[in-house]
Amino acid sequence: MHWSLLIIIFIVSTLLGYKIINRVPSLLHTPLMSGMNAFSGVTLLACLSATAAAVATGGILGTILGFLAIVLATINVVAGFGVTDRMLKMFHNKKGKE
Amino acid sequence: MVMNFLQALCFNPLFLEVTRSTGENTRYRLISLGLIALVLIGISLMSKVERALIGNRLGALAMLAAVVLTLYYYGIFSVSLLWVGLLLGGFLGLVLARKVQMIQMPQMVGLLNGFGGLASMLAGILTLMGYSLNPSGMAMDTTFATITGGLAVVVGGLTWTGSAVAAGKLHRIIDQKPKVYPGHQVWTSMSLLLALLSALLLTLPTFASGTGRTLLILLAVIFGNLFGYFLAIRVGGADMPITISLLNSFSGVAGAIAGMAVADILLVAVGGIVGASGLILTQIMCKAMNRQLLDILVGKSSAPTAAKQVSASAKQAPASGPASISPAQEGTDSNTQAQEQELAPEPEQEARQESGQKAEAEPEELAGPQLLGRWLEEAQTIIIVPGYGMALAQAQVQIKQLADQLEAAGKQVDFAIHPVAGRMPGHMNVLLAEVDIPYDKLHEMAEINDQFKTTDLCLVVGANDVINPAANTAEGTPIYGMPVLDVGDAKHIVICNYDLQPGYAGVPNPLYEEAEAQTDHVVLLLGDAKESLKGLQTGYTQAQKGSDQGAPADGSQMANSDSGQASSGQSPSPAAGPDLAANWLDEAHKVIIVPGYGMALAQAQAQIKQLTDQLEAAGKQVDFAIHPVAGRMPGHMNVLLAEVDIPYDKLHEMAEINDQFKTTDLCLVVGANDVINPAANTAEGTPIYGMPVLDVGDAKHVVICNFDLQPGYAGVPNPLYEEAQAESGHVILLLGDAKQSLADLLAKL
Repeated sequence: MHWSLLIIIFIVSTLLGYKIINRVPSLLHTPLMSGMNAFSGVTLLACLSATAAAVATGGILGTILGFLAIVLATINVVAGFGVTDRMLKMFHNKKGKE
Repeated sequence: MVMNFLQALCFNPLFLEVTRSTGENTRYRLISLGLIALVLIGISLMSKVERALIGNRLGALAMLAAVVLTLYYYGIFSVSLLWVGLLLGGFLGLVLARKVQMIQMPQMVGLLNGFGGLASMLAGILTLMGYSLNPSGMAMDTTFATITGGLAVVVGGLTWTGSAVAAGKLHRIIDQKPKVYPGHQVWTSMSLLLALLSALLLTLPTFASGTGRTLLILLAVIFGNLFGYFLAIRVGGADMPITISLLNSFSGVAGAIAGMAVADILLVAVGGIVGASGLILTQIMCKAMNRQLLDILVGKSSAPTAAKQVSASAKQAPASGPASISPAQEGTDSNTQAQEQELAPEPEQEARQESGQKAEAEPEELAGPQLLGRWLEEAQTIIIVPGYGMALAQAQVQIKQLADQLEAAGKQVDFAIHPVAGRMPGHMNVLLAEVDIPYDKLHEMAEINDQFKTTDLCLVVGANDVINPAANTAEGTPIYGMPVLDVGDAKHIVICNYDLQPGYAGVPNPLYEEAEAQTDHVVLLLGDAKESLKGLQTGYTQAQKGSDQGAPADGSQMANSDSGQASSGQSPSPAAGPDLAANWLDEAHKVIIVPGYGMALAQAQAQIKQLTDQLEAAGKQVDFAIHPVAGRMPGHMNVLLAEVDIPYDKLHEMAEINDQFKTTDLCLVVGANDVINPAANTAEGTPIYGMPVLDVGDAKHVVICNFDLQPGYAGVPNPLYEEAQAESGHVILLLGDAKQSLADLLAKL
């Protein structure tokens, strides 16, 4: 894949994201941030493939670092979505009561 | 699963190739694009409260699908280690998400951010080490992969340390005060430049493999991390909303760059979206605080207001009171807590001994704390000498309370700071400033050392070597010749120390011997300093009561301060305050409540909810006005209020509600300061000038619950407070813990 394609994807997604996220009301800024936080754990994808490569080639250091990276990124993703869910439920429940 | 590795060597610029047909590649790209779309849809659903929950779950689902897709596409489903990591991380993540309290959300977000950054950094390192799966037909430009790998290391690293420092500050493990090292700016720029340089040099053929490459990777890691540290450590507590948002952006960018390094479009796109989100939040926060991002990053405007920032972040610290929340103690120093529990009885024991001793000297039997209380009562000039022991016992709040109490009685209280008291230069100043002790009361040794002679009482809290007179006489000992504070010159000396051990230098302290010899000059209070000080406060209150029977009400109020809740010394608010406020509330038809970080610190949400319910039951209209930067992160107040079941349609943004203050009967401000300061409209040249604020002054009546009279983070005095003090009939201030103030108000209704 040509590198310029990756740069273009980056720019386009950033602009798209900017446009969409600007519509999120300040009421939800904390859940938005924690949700985005969870998304930033998407780096997990890179960790997975790189760690697999390290395992396949038998690199001890690479395997250890990769394993650590997977654990950290997964915590990021799961806890991020988890707390966002908890917070949004608090907002959500109110709707039900009214 | 077809796995076909062409090369199997470490540290060669190699990309392990995975055979994939063109069709498979196309399908992978299409699915990736689909998932990106799903993520975007999920986020756009978050613009409506009703659908936000679904949006978040959709996003989570997209992430799960992305993981499965990646495992499938690279043919690594069967690598069991990956599953172990996923399960372990998933389990830990679930536990964290369940256990975290809402009040801890800012540091939680900070910490998770850091984890993401660290993972990106590690992914970058792995790529640079040559661990990369490269599907056929997706051939990568090696140079590009190296550059982006290096950048991922740098950005990931700075995100990690920056977030860790921010989370530490928010959790009060790290001092909230902006910390500026000598040549801070140079270090900051240098570390960034060196990090980027290391990343760039990696592309040179010379460094394609071998030790040179390893070294460069290490340098990129070190300098990237250093940069993050320097960046975050100089940011004060109240600037955290901006920092957290910015780091959020960085974590996304780090992910995107790591994605470029491994040519993963999903990663690049989602990372870019996160980066954009963080950027938006950063912009909003900056605008709301009237700050330039660059100023905060280079610490420009934090320099003149540095001292104020401390008081701002600290001002509210005691508001919580040691009893309600003390996030610092929860996670940080279980040691201290253990100490406290272990030693709690000791000061009493000591006190009893004391009373036994003194009984002989004094005609009337005085319990230890009572004797000391009388010393305090009789003293006109008092110097307090803090040491590292104070920091360990976290006794600053008690010191502040005691100092306030003494000053309220017209005594002069000063602080003597030895240059090496504590664990770093200026340590004591920072800690005392954090609890709002004015810095003009903190005196350097040279400045104050002569004054001990004329001082009635010197209170030493956890200082040892720095007050050891042996330094003047004991030749050959490590401290001989070291300048010390001449506390021995004071008429009375009270030393709060953990034990009788000599200090760090190991030289016995003659003052301790004097105390043990039961002279009437020195008294030692052993054990946890916090407990000792509490005992001292009680003793003083009793002594005051004894000498001034005419003010029993005052006395009982003082006694309350033992629980750490009331803000004893600084509640000059007239007793009529709550009564009048209650009357106003009674008469009002339309009420707007303005919450601030002080509410969060005092955990006063439940009281606010009760009050709201009560007012609404009486047919009144209650709304909430939320300033964009109220609290420590974007939307902080909304989350806290939602937690106590306040419907979100009552929470209004500033722009939406600002016009309504004019037609409002009563505005109740709970722990908000700068964001309601009308000086922002008029006081040119102050840091808040031009910052948009809530026009609470337009309301018919204003009731402000605030811990004290200190100006907010920006250090600009609030005209509303002056109005309240002038008893204009427009503004009432309810000082002290917000929870307590609201409870009082509720009781009166």
